[in-house]
Amino acid sequence: MAKRINTHQYCELPNPGAEISFQFNGKRIQAYSSDSITSALTASGQTLLSRSFKYHRPRGAYDIYGQGHESLVTVNHEPNLLADRIRVKNGMVVQSQNAWPSLEFDIGEINDTVVPMLPNGFYYKMFHKPKWLWPIAEQQIRKAAGLGKIDTAGKNNDRRYEKRYRFPDVCVIGGGPSGLAATLGALKEGKQLLLIDDNPELGGHSLHSIAEVSDCENEKLNGLAEYKAVQQLIEELASFPNLEVLVNTSVFGLYEDNLVAAQCGADLFKIRADSVVLAPGATDRHLVFENNDRPGIMTARGVERLIMCHSVLPGDNAVVVTTHDGGYHTALLLHGAGAKIIAVVDGREAGHAEGVFEQKIRELAIPVYKGLTAHAAHGRKRIYRVDVGPVSGGDSHKSFDCDLLVMAVGFKPQVNLLSMGRKSPKWDTERQILRITDLPSGVYSAGEVHGSAGFSRLYSEGFNSGKEAALSETTPGKDYSVQTERTADEIIMALPADIESGGKHHFICKCMDVTRSEAQASIDEGYDQVESLKRYSSMGMGPCQGKACHESVARLAAIDTGLSSIEAVPTTVRPPFTGTTFGLLAGRAPHLSPIRRTPFHQCHLDLGVKFLDAGQWKRPDSYTDPLIEASYVRNGLGMIDVSTLGKIEISGPEAVKFMQFMLPGKYAKFEVGRTRYSIMIGEDGILFEDGTISHIEQGIYYLTTTTGNQDAINSLFQWWMLVEEFEVHVKNLSLANAAVNVTGTTSRDFLQKLVDIDMSNEAFPYMHCRQATIADVPVSFYRIGFTGELGYEIHFPAEFGESMWQYLLTEGKEFDLKPFGVETQRILRLEKGHLIPGTDTDALSNPYESGVGFAIKDDKDDFVGKAFLQHFKERGIENKLVPYQLEPGSQIPDDGVAVLDKGKIAGRVTSSRLSPTLKRGIGLAWVRKDMSETGSNFSIRLANGQDVQATVLDHAAYDPEGLRLKS
Amino acid sequence: MSYQLNCPNCGKRAVSEFSFRSEYIKRPAPDAEFTEWADYVYFRKNNMGHQTEWWYHRSGCQNWFLAERDTTNNTDHRSFWYNELEQNSSGKKGDS
Repeated sequence: MAKRINTHQYCELPNPGAEISFQFNGKRIQAYSSDSITSALTASGQTLLSRSFKYHRPRGAYDIYGQGHESLVTVNHEPNLLADRIRVKNGMVVQSQNAWPSLEFDIGEINDTVVPMLPNGFYYKMFHKPKWLWPIAEQQIRKAAGLGKIDTAGKNNDRRYEKRYRFPDVCVIGGGPSGLAATLGALKEGKQLLLIDDNPELGGHSLHSIAEVSDCENEKLNGLAEYKAVQQLIEELASFPNLEVLVNTSVFGLYEDNLVAAQCGADLFKIRADSVVLAPGATDRHLVFENNDRPGIMTARGVERLIMCHSVLPGDNAVVVTTHDGGYHTALLLHGAGAKIIAVVDGREAGHAEGVFEQKIRELAIPVYKGLTAHAAHGRKRIYRVDVGPVSGGDSHKSFDCDLLVMAVGFKPQVNLLSMGRKSPKWDTERQILRITDLPSGVYSAGEVHGSAGFSRLYSEGFNSGKEAALSETTPGKDYSVQTERTADEIIMALPADIESGGKHHFICKCMDVTRSEAQASIDEGYDQVESLKRYSSMGMGPCQGKACHESVARLAAIDTGLSSIEAVPTTVRPPFTGTTFGLLAGRAPHLSPIRRTPFHQCHLDLGVKFLDAGQWKRPDSYTDPLIEASYVRNGLGMIDVSTLGKIEISGPEAVKFMQFMLPGKYAKFEVGRTRYSIMIGEDGILFEDGTISHIEQGIYYLTTTTGNQDAINSLFQWWMLVEEFEVHVKNLSLANAAVNVTGTTSRDFLQKLVDIDMSNEAFPYMHCRQATIADVPVSFYRIGFTGELGYEIHFPAEFGESMWQYLLTEGKEFDLKPFGVETQRILRLEKGHLIPGTDTDALSNPYESGVGFAIKDDKDDFVGKAFLQHFKERGIENKLVPYQLEPGSQIPDDGVAVLDKGKIAGRVTSSRLSPTLKRGIGLAWVRKDMSETGSNFSIRLANGQDVQATVLDHAAYDPEGLRLKS
Repeated sequence: MSYQLNCPNCGKRAVSEFSFRSEYIKRPAPDAEFTEWADYVYFRKNNMGHQTEWWYHRSGCQNWFLAERDTTNNTDHRSFWYNELEQNSSGKKGDS
């Protein structure tokens, strides 16, 4: 049984912190504030942490570093978090996943005894026919095989995902001895440093090593135990002001130009560094043998971490399987904590040089067996015995009763961040690991990821890389083998990828529950390339994304397809390296897409507005009911915020030439005080924009654009000015000016009251513009008619926004002036048959077919789109955008539904509304030319399958002659 | 797409700050055949290797510039103003 320890024979234990408690599956668990969820549960005697994906096998704490999937739990309703990585907090609610009815008794475990019935790809094969079975089967399979449940209601989720940015000179990833040394090396060159580690504390594996440091370049550290030396190194770093340290932060991607993506809680860090040093280290190798997934089997470094960082002894009777001196180190730590070491089983044959810790173990008279390894584990929720036998497999020699089996069978470098889909690791025969040596420029690496070992070597490699990174001595394709040649006793033997010893529960991939025999069966079925094998068997596709099994899969696939281990090709490693949530990736980035508010924003809020998102803009959709608001305009006086219009002032000696080139109209005889409707087309002749253009002062023109295009058109103008070298000034006043449209029969009477210019129809006719002042504020009036009523657009400096809005509403009281929103305006313009580019047109709509050909004057020299307009003219009209109306009482179609002719699709509706003025459905639709005659009929297919009859109108449903506009 | 583009005005910035317009191509003469106009509007070389492109620093200084970029690795590029085109490219400055 596991227990807490207070003292240790060979080292000092850390201060455990305050006593706290939390809940696990409804049970109260006592813990210390320095505990991870796993260490607290282990100390409390909770062996089971989770159930496996497919067979619901019991799984317990394994590596304590969160590399595997075993420790996935739901914490405070957030699923799929790694218990190994999370510090417990008082009152925390932790639940296990994928078990029903309970973690201890899981009905799904029956899958485990019927393994032969659930081979790889069983669902492809078994539920293939009959077809109706699959949806039912799928539902059951999804229920049985899964991870945590997402809190879709979001009731318990108050996280706010944010994006953060860092721009260090050098970013060091990994806070072990080589990462710390790299940081120091770069700091000494005077650089700005960012050091990232995914554990709650810096130090890496050195935090639980009692090996004595010797021959280290940093002489102060010599003679200290590693766990003390690394603390001293961390203290040394703390004295540098230009170092930022991020702990509990997982780097999940390394992208082009050294973009480092890291997650810390609900924050996404985007880090752009001149140089990146990767010191991700290595983890204990995963060994494949019978029942290698049972609770009680743990990695050596996991056990060491529990003892030295959390004061938890995970078992009483331990067997250690090793291939290097590190296993003896673990055994000594277990012994010093009070465990009984039943045996140390060493895979190496007798005769090799004995390491420091092996000698100590022998002095303690602990039995050591050479040339053997673990063959099988016995026990279900906790092991009680292990069988050991020859490394080459075959019959087992011995059995030991134990409750803890420690695996110290070499290291697996974490090459993921070195690879990232760009480089594939290769088997290094000398070091017996998968390695990547050729890194992109600006990326450096050091330490255990290259098979290095020992504090002093890690330190010097790290320090040199840090220095190199700081000095940007970019040497792509550099090979570390020269710098770090191994001595014979530093080579850690790699055991065979699988111990061939009978039984059918040799788990290669524990996340997805794939066994050796299943992998072999898949190869026999023809999936003999490692990538296809992975996809078919789903090995390495679970939550750990191959962190544990990546190497085993490659080596076993090589063996089973008749290749040597040198030829072992691992599957491609791509980001993300750790699980990332959608929330994190979506996150808030308000500076990248700001919310844009008009100068009248607060006024709208005060009026109880309902906002509409128009691109980045918040525009008033309506204040009350759009149908009622429409009647304000038709029968009285309304006002709408049109500040989001693009407003561009054009002047300069070649202003007319420029406009003639950019716009399809002609402007040589455009008089001061006039306003015109204008459209814009691309070089492809397609209509993409409309607005008005006014000649406000001699040589100064004022163009308005639609909301969505205000930035695009400004940049387009800038581009054409550059390449065509026009002598013209283009001033973007979009944000400098606020604007309202005051419209309705009494608008003239109202405005005349406020200004001292003559507003009469004779002095200020339709499609003209005038300058004046309202309450001492300079304003421009544009008499246009988008709504179909007499109306004036009023533009004025944005800083007078709120006061002008209030002033107009107050002064307008006697005329019953009411504000209206965009939805209301859409109804009003539809009653007039006005199109909105982008809503009623698309990338195939040419201006002639769209019905705005009147705005084109193509009897002029070269202008944008002329060649294609000519082409469209010659081709003739095929389809037309027409206004239509429905019979009173007909149902109103949705926007976008189909237009039918004799039962066949012949067009589509682009805008459809109920006209409150005409009390019937109206809209715009694209129809074939032969259907577009005024008065002809066509059918519209509603979403419910019924048809309604529409009649094509000549121009507008409301006031077709435009008498009201011009009155 | 996480590379950095060099704005001649602002220096190296994340490519997400920029808008791409197109490859640098010359606008046909006004009286050119319609097929030439169609090619200009609809066809691009899309080189594998170096090509000169129009970029706009949308979330920055809002300047247009040209960049000669290696489309196979993104990182290897030079950028310059339009009036520096002739000394920077084999292509002649034209009506684009």
